[in-house]
Amino acid sequence: MATLTPERWREISPYLDRALSLAESEREDWLKSMRVERPQLAELLQRLLAEHRTLSEERFLERSPVHPQAQTSLEGQEVGPYRLVSPIGAGGMGSVWLGERSDGRFERRVAIKFLNFAVAAEGGAQRFQREGRILARIAHPHIAELIDAGVMGNGQPYLVLEHVEGQAIDEYCDGRRLDVDARIKLFLDILGAVAHAHANLVIHRDIKPSNVLVSSTGEVKLLDFGIAKLLSDDGDPAAGTMLTLGSGAMTPLFAAPEQVSGGAITTATDVYALGVLLYLLLTGQHPAGAGPRSPAELVKAITETEPARPSDAVASAGPGTETTAERRAATPERLRRQLRGDLDTIVAKALKKNPQERYPSAAAMADDLRRYLQHEPISARPDTIAYVGAKFLRRYWLPVTAVAVVVASLVVGLYIANRERVIAEERFGQLRKLSSQMFDLDTAIRRLPGSTQARERLVSIAVGYLDGLAANARGNLDLIEEVGEGYLRVARVQGVPTDLNLGEPKQAEASLEKADELMDGVLASRPHERRALFLSAQIANASMILATEEHRNQDALSYARKSAERLDRFMRSGGAQKPERNTAAGLYSNIAAVDLDLHLYSEAVVYARRLVELGRSIPSDLRVVDGLTSLCEAELYQGHSQRALQDLQEARAISQHMIYEGPSAGIFDEFGTLLHEGLLLGEDGAINLGRPKEAIDLIQRAFDIADKAAEKDSRDALSRERVVNAGIPLGNLLRERDPGRALAVYDLALKRSEEAGSSVVMMRKRALLLADSSGALMRLRRYAEAKRRIDESLAILRKTKDYPTAQMGLDSEAYVVLSAWGDYEGKRGDPGQARQIYEQLLAQAIAGKPAADTDLTHAPRMSRVYERLGELDRRTGRAASAEDMDSRRLKLWQGWAQKLPNNSFVRSELAAASFSKAASTGVRR
Amino acid sequence: MASSISSLMSAAEQGDSAAKEALFAALYAELHRLAQRQLARQGFGVTMSTTSLLHRAYIDIAEQEGAAFPDRTRFMGYAARVMRGLIIDYARNRQAQKRGGQFEITSLGIEAGNAADSGKLIQVSDALDELARADPGLAEIVDLRFFCGFTFAEIAAMKGVSERTAQREWEKARIYLHQAIRAELES
Repeated sequence: MATLTPERWREISPYLDRALSLAESEREDWLKSMRVERPQLAELLQRLLAEHRTLSEERFLERSPVHPQAQTSLEGQEVGPYRLVSPIGAGGMGSVWLGERSDGRFERRVAIKFLNFAVAAEGGAQRFQREGRILARIAHPHIAELIDAGVMGNGQPYLVLEHVEGQAIDEYCDGRRLDVDARIKLFLDILGAVAHAHANLVIHRDIKPSNVLVSSTGEVKLLDFGIAKLLSDDGDPAAGTMLTLGSGAMTPLFAAPEQVSGGAITTATDVYALGVLLYLLLTGQHPAGAGPRSPAELVKAITETEPARPSDAVASAGPGTETTAERRAATPERLRRQLRGDLDTIVAKALKKNPQERYPSAAAMADDLRRYLQHEPISARPDTIAYVGAKFLRRYWLPVTAVAVVVASLVVGLYIANRERVIAEERFGQLRKLSSQMFDLDTAIRRLPGSTQARERLVSIAVGYLDGLAANARGNLDLIEEVGEGYLRVARVQGVPTDLNLGEPKQAEASLEKADELMDGVLASRPHERRALFLSAQIANASMILATEEHRNQDALSYARKSAERLDRFMRSGGAQKPERNTAAGLYSNIAAVDLDLHLYSEAVVYARRLVELGRSIPSDLRVVDGLTSLCEAELYQGHSQRALQDLQEARAISQHMIYEGPSAGIFDEFGTLLHEGLLLGEDGAINLGRPKEAIDLIQRAFDIADKAAEKDSRDALSRERVVNAGIPLGNLLRERDPGRALAVYDLALKRSEEAGSSVVMMRKRALLLADSSGALMRLRRYAEAKRRIDESLAILRKTKDYPTAQMGLDSEAYVVLSAWGDYEGKRGDPGQARQIYEQLLAQAIAGKPAADTDLTHAPRMSRVYERLGELDRRTGRAASAEDMDSRRLKLWQGWAQKLPNNSFVRSELAAASFSKAASTGVRR
Repeated sequence: MASSISSLMSAAEQGDSAAKEALFAALYAELHRLAQRQLARQGFGVTMSTTSLLHRAYIDIAEQEGAAFPDRTRFMGYAARVMRGLIIDYARNRQAQKRGGQFEITSLGIEAGNAADSGKLIQVSDALDELARADPGLAEIVDLRFFCGFTFAEIAAMKGVSERTAQREWEKARIYLHQAIRAELES
């Protein structure tokens, strides 16, 4: 019968489909029914099915046209001095037979591999044999020996190889549950073999698990060495290169990018394949990721996508994670930790897309792996922005100094809460001094010729550079993180107030937002990516500081929480190195300070405690003391005065042993802790421990230390600030007891404040000094002078725009000055005026948040306002109103006494309030 | 060359036979060029299977054409046909005892003489051309599997069918080709 016509074929095709989908047994029945319905069709079908049986037996088109069929008819055939025994398998390059010597000599059995190409050209056979023999000379214990190479009569080339029995290395390792170190040791054997071959100028080109066998005794053998080269290069350009076609499913799983894209093959190509193999051994996955891939996708992945770090690859949640770890005798967590760091770096270096960036040789890779095993530092460096950036530098030129600006390490500054300005300014001044010695950035900027414009230009170049990198960084995890960090550093230069900055908070915010977006992007798909977590915490921290500076409290709060959350996650994931822990401590310190500032005392306690713990673990005295002092403040404001005092005393004990180098004294040196403790013991108008005599003693000592230093050096602005900082509370404590002494203190402080310059901060302090000292003057009956000072202080506040304003709350300078004024008017001036002033203060206080009955910090001042008003009313005969004021004051402290029954400060305030109340009631009667 | 590969492919699919020829020529040139790039290398050679060659061609062309380029599947369909053309050309050359073009293709079998096997290849190709007239989808599968060496999994992915279906189609194709060749021999 003639061949099927297309029409016939179309007709029969669906029936064939049906027939082929049935099992043999069912087919017969189906055909029977067909014969009844459509006899002609059935007959054709039967014939075709018979044809199918025949062609199956013939193995028609079974192999691609280029693959020799491994037929049993070859058995016994002689090949050189060997005889074919049985087929071992069909490899990618040809069929392989087990062979033995045909002359009966019992030597080991061999593997005879028939290669998939024809050596038809003249001289080809000799060339093949010659090259084969070159290969054969590469003897190495871990390389399967090439015994001989030859060409048969019909041009069929063959190789005689050492017959190796063993398991593919990945199966071997998994089956025996070898741990990471054991796998690396095996891998080092492979590297030794490859290095040896490379030294003999032979490249393997086809390294994969099935080519690396491990015998039952644990011996590694690398197969098929150099055969690919033999196949491909016959050295004669005219004859051309052998091209192997279609060997079945050759997915380029182990192909290097240059192999896939037609670049030059070098020893680095083998390094790449070794990298893939190592990746597989360590993680059980292919660098292109888990899951099936079509060849085209794989090719794209190989040439373009950066692989996930091994430590991340094993950490991704999934059912396979446990099994993978088990096969490496570890838990997923432990495995991740083992791989993190040096092994990540080594694998990454082997897998670089650009061959020139990889290890130049297997020997170099082996060296680093050995260093890893011996816990020595490896030579490979993780990508840095400067290095990766080189790729993009062609487009984004960057002056060296700008790189220094972006890349210079910045220590996270300690941001101090506004609330306790005395202590705050203290610390800040210290830190600024310290930082100006330590920061590269500072000097880098200073060294630049020109002014702010030059610095700004540099920053904008840096931002442009980062924007460019960010646009190209998709998929490249390390680069994304580097860029994120770059934005963070730039933001610090632009305007985060802890550091020397250009005063551009809006720009800083913009940079921080970019950085945040990048990190959120990373964390969306990799929630456990540690570096992104850490950077994210730092970014949120910087945003928090900016927001606090601008009094955007809600924003500050949410940034604080974000920073805390990310930081906690980062710390919980474990393995933080010492510099990271130091930075983390700084972050916690800032969070605690902002919490304090926002009166969130329980949160502040949490983070201050974390800071202390962290400080102890680093170990860092500075951090511990920092934490203890923040803790002390928080506890104080919660009303746990005793605990606060204990913490402070512990801090002082530690700080006495701290040594700082350099001209700046330490942040928590003798002055600082003396002052701080003194304030705690007896600060007037604030929560304290009610031990004024001791307080005076300590603060006086601090005052003297500062003044002595100021005396010694007329350019020492810092010491002068300190004199003022100590002078204010000291004067206030002495005011009632010893006004003469108080005045001397105030006046000395005033003198130093003039010497210290005229910043806004200093001007405000002058206003305070003037106002506070008026109280001493009044006690000394020097009323006119008192009034003059009050007027002067009001004038200063007008200049600094602190008065009059809408918000003159209980913690403002305006409050202090107005109270002083009110006192004066009440005692010597116009009581009506006094009343107005106090009422204004009262209104402001009531309107302000948080309220005095929920926030202990405000209670004393509020109480003072009531007290003043009550006194005023009593003197002007307004009894009912006086009683009202006293009642309110009493109620305030009764409320607090219920909340904090054991607090001595509350108790003493309550006692004073009760006494007043009783007295006023008495008066009325 | 005026038209891009993608526009040629669209036109060819609409039955434009001039476009079909131009497409064949363009792809042939592309694949040939790629293969030659391997050959031109001094010092180190490279083995590249047909599949790698095709993937490389796909990536190259897709990059050039940009967004306009249609999907991989269609490309592979055409490219596989071209690949067969290249192989058959070579087989014909061998039959004629000329020293093979720019590249030598691996031998066909160890027990039979080479010339005969080249002949077999040509027979298969002729039969395939016939099958392509009756059932182009089946012919494509043979090109992909036999001449280019894709696995059933890959073919299934490319054609958007299950592996079982791809295998069954392959069996059908084999039936057709086998009986076609036999009929040819007998006549």
